[in-house]
Amino acid sequence: MQNNETQVYSVSDFQAVCNQILETAFSGVVIEGEVASFKVNQGKFVFFDLKDDQSSVGCFMMKFAMRFPLEDGMRVRVRALPKLTNWGKFSLTVQAVTPVGEGSLKKSFELLKKKLTEEGLFAPAKKRALPPEIQKIGVISSTQAAGYADFCKILNERWGGLEVQVAHTQVQGMVAADQIIRALNYFNERGEVQVIAVIRGGGSADDLAVFNDEALVRAIAASKIPVITGIGHEVDESLCDLAADVVASTPSNAAQMLTRDRREVSRQINGDVLRVQNLFNSKIDEIVRENRRTIEQIRNDIVVKMTTAESEVDSLCKVLEQLNPEQVLRRGYALITGEQQIGNVVKITTIDKEIEAKIEKILERSENGKAN
Amino acid sequence: MAKQISDKISELKAGVDWFYSDEFKLELASEKYKELTALAKEIQTDLAEMKNEINVIAEDFSKE
Repeated sequence: MQNNETQVYSVSDFQAVCNQILETAFSGVVIEGEVASFKVNQGKFVFFDLKDDQSSVGCFMMKFAMRFPLEDGMRVRVRALPKLTNWGKFSLTVQAVTPVGEGSLKKSFELLKKKLTEEGLFAPAKKRALPPEIQKIGVISSTQAAGYADFCKILNERWGGLEVQVAHTQVQGMVAADQIIRALNYFNERGEVQVIAVIRGGGSADDLAVFNDEALVRAIAASKIPVITGIGHEVDESLCDLAADVVASTPSNAAQMLTRDRREVSRQINGDVLRVQNLFNSKIDEIVRENRRTIEQIRNDIVVKMTTAESEVDSLCKVLEQLNPEQVLRRGYALITGEQQIGNVVKITTIDKEIEAKIEKILERSENGKAN
Repeated sequence: MAKQISDKISELKAGVDWFYSDEFKLELASEKYKELTALAKEIQTDLAEMKNEINVIAEDFSKE
């Protein structure tokens, strides 16, 4: 080209140069506006106008790239490549689109929630409980985020010995959803962790909009590894929360739900040892008491037996006393000793005398006591 | 391989349960109690000292 000559392009060249300039000047430009004339052709080509009070520009995108439901009147932010078509029409080829502003976000949220609920993506039957003994945790978060710091702080305070793998991703903005999806895939492909925690601290509705991204919500629902979400504050509810197996109200709460509290465990152990000590002491006391009762019983038995024996001895003594010949003599009877034959001398003993007497006559007695 | 703290806690629980079970024998109780208190002390030390291993994955998730 010479300086003093005007450059002449063919139409195709001019269109190609324009596109080159546009691509260089506006690579990945982000534009915010209101959706108008939204339509989907053949189920896969999406067309709409992006407008504001004074201007409007046509947009084109593939349906699969549309991660949030759109409607006319919604305020959106698009990341797009400006392009001059072969027909000379200027349009934006949209790579990503997200609703912005409370009204649009809410509308998009409700539309997608309805759609995914009807598909059964949030069904309670699909929810899995957290593993009982968690050792390995996969965390998806921005390591610079306050929510991540809170999560780690509570995790370290409460428990130890855990292996935590952290996938650092953006947690807001148009590229965050894809990064989080890639991190989910990373953990699922390796299968090294028992649970995946998706963590993000509080923020505005726009900041948290990524967690209503359809592809991300589906990826969480499809995760082979159970997913816990700790996104935003207690009042925030995202579609990722609805798709997750377990929902924590905040990042800190997620750390609490994933761990036991070492102070609580310590208190329980002290309590257990104390209980055993008390039980041991009470068992010893019980055995001592039982032994005392047994000794007392034996002593009582001995006393009873001795009393009985004494009583028996007394009785026997009395019987013996009755049998004492002296007693008979005291009652006036006499004892005759010696051979009782006529002419013999026998000894007669009374209570106070001993008499020798000669037998002169012997009479037999009958049973009735009369002498014959 | 060193026992995990969860194994130690299970062992402690089983030891405590023994005192409440029909297998309780006074002649073994003193020795068992000594073992349990030593185990409890070990667990308390573990609880105080154990730390998490937090590693940020080198993978760049911003790349498609």
